[in-house]
Amino acid sequence: MFEIFSNWVAAFFTLCIFSFLYKDNPFYRFAEHLFVGVSMGYAIPLTWNASMIPNVYRPIFLQHRFELIFPALLGALYIFTFNRKLNWLSKFPIAFGMGLVGMGVPMSMNAGVLVQMRGAMIPIQDINTFLVWVGTVTILLYFFFSKAHTGAYGKIVKVGIWYMMLGFGASFGYTVMARISLLIGRIQFLVIDVVQNTIRFFGS
Amino acid sequence: MNFFEKLQKIDRRWIYLILAISIFLPLAFPFNSRTFTTRPTESLYRMIDSFAPPPDTDPVDHNRAFLMSIMHDASTMPELFPMELAVLRHAFERDIKVFTITWIATAAPLIDLAINTVKEEFATREENPKQIISGVHYVNFGFKIPALYLAMILGMGEDIANAIEIDAEGRQLSSLPAMTNIRNYNEMNLVVEFTGSAPGGAWITYARSRFGTNVAVGVTAVSAADVYPQLQTGQLIGMLAGLKGAAEYEKLVEVFAATDREFSREILRAEMDNPKFALTNDNIPYNFKQARIGMNAQSVAHILIIVFILIGNIGYFVQKYKQKQEVQ
Repeated sequence: MFEIFSNWVAAFFTLCIFSFLYKDNPFYRFAEHLFVGVSMGYAIPLTWNASMIPNVYRPIFLQHRFELIFPALLGALYIFTFNRKLNWLSKFPIAFGMGLVGMGVPMSMNAGVLVQMRGAMIPIQDINTFLVWVGTVTILLYFFFSKAHTGAYGKIVKVGIWYMMLGFGASFGYTVMARISLLIGRIQFLVIDVVQNTIRFFGS
Repeated sequence: MNFFEKLQKIDRRWIYLILAISIFLPLAFPFNSRTFTTRPTESLYRMIDSFAPPPDTDPVDHNRAFLMSIMHDASTMPELFPMELAVLRHAFERDIKVFTITWIATAAPLIDLAINTVKEEFATREENPKQIISGVHYVNFGFKIPALYLAMILGMGEDIANAIEIDAEGRQLSSLPAMTNIRNYNEMNLVVEFTGSAPGGAWITYARSRFGTNVAVGVTAVSAADVYPQLQTGQLIGMLAGLKGAAEYEKLVEVFAATDREFSREILRAEMDNPKFALTNDNIPYNFKQARIGMNAQSVAHILIIVFILIGNIGYFVQKYKQKQEVQ
C-alpha cells in the first residue's frame, strides 16, 4: 500500500514538472523547490554520517588516534571562507587540495594526452584508419590560425570542418536520443509503476 | 495561409503532445522488435562473463570480482538504471562477485534500489529461485565522501578492505565472505562506471594508468560520442551507450547468462526471433526488459522526429520558393 501511495506522490510531482511544457506555473515551481530542498536535506546528514563519523569522531574519540586532529583542524579551516577578515585561513586546506591535484598531473597527461596521441599515430592499414588519419590531420590544420584559410589550404581545412560537422551531428543525434529516453523513463514510470500497479493492487 | 505556412507557425505544444502519445502507445502496448548488439556492449559483456567461477568452484572462494561505480542521481535514471539492473542480473545469474560504490550522496539509494529490485526478481521467480545475500554474493561499499575518492581509488590498488574499511551496512570488509581471495585490482580487475558526465575519467587516470585496471562505462547518450576515442585506444574496454546500450545488454543477458551459455554471435543471430526471448513473453519480468520496451518507444519517437524534420524542411523550401516567385 505504501508503495502505491509513494508512487502516486511521485506521479503528482512528475505531472507538476511536466506542466512547465504548457507554461510556467506555481505547481512547477513548488515541485522544483521541493526537489532542491529534499536533495539537500537528504545529502547533508548522509555526508555527515559518511564523513565526520568514520573519519573524525570514531578514530579520534573512540580509537584515540590523536594524530588525526591536525588534518581535521586543517579541514575545519574551510569554514572561514564565509568570514571576510579571516578567509585567508581557508586558503591552507585549498592549497593542500591543490597539491593533491598536482599529484594526478603526470597520470592525467598519460591517460588524456599521450595514450590518445599514440592511438592517433597508428599505421594506415584499412579504410577506417585512413579516415581517422585524414580527420585528425585536417582538423588539426583547421585549428592552425597563423595561416589564412584560403586557396588549396582552405580546401584542405574544409575537409576538417566537414569532419567536425559529422561529429557534431552524431553528438546531436545522441542528445536527442538521451532527451527522449528521459521522457520514456517518466512515461514508463507513470504507465507501469503507477497505473498498472495500482490496477493490479486493487484488482487482486 | 496555406498548409506549409500553418506548419511553420504550429504551436510547439502540439508537437509535445504528439510526441508524448507516440511514446505512450509502445510502452502501454509493447510489441516485439529486434535488438542488435554492438561491439562495445559485447566487449563489456564478455569481460564480465569471463569473471564467472568454473563449474566445480565455490563462487565465494573464486578470486574474481568487478566493481560498479554508480556516479549519477535520479535525473539520469531512465538511461542508466536499466543498465545497472542488467549488469547486476548478469553477475547474479553467473555467480560473479560484484561490488558497488558511489561518491554521490543521492546515488546511495539508487544502489539499494537496483540491488533490491534484482534480488526480489531472483527470489520470487518460479524457475530456479535464488537467494542473493549481501556480503556473500555482493558487497555494497556504499556512499563515500568525494574528498576521499582519489585516496580510495589508489588505495584499492594495494588493499581494498583497507582502503574502503566498512561497507554500507557498517561491516568490516575484511570479515565478509565475498572478500575471500579478493585483495586489490589484481582480483577486482574491472571497474564499470555509470555516469552522466566525465565517463571513466578518474578510473582511467588513476586505476588504469597506475595498476592496469580494466575500465568500462555506462553513459547517457549525450556523453557517448565523446567516449569513442578512448574505446579506440583501448583505455576503455567497453561501453553501454544510453538506453540502446542498456537494451543490448539486457538482450545478451537474456540470451546467454539466463540460459547459462557462452557468448556467441552465431547463437545471437539464430535466437534473434525466438519467442522465448521476445518482449511479449510474460515470463520475462518487466524489470529485465524495460530498456528494450523503452527502445520500441525510442524508435517510434525517432521516426516521428525525422518526419517532423522532413516536413519542416519541405515547408521551409516551399516558402522560400514562393517568396522568390513573388519578388519576380
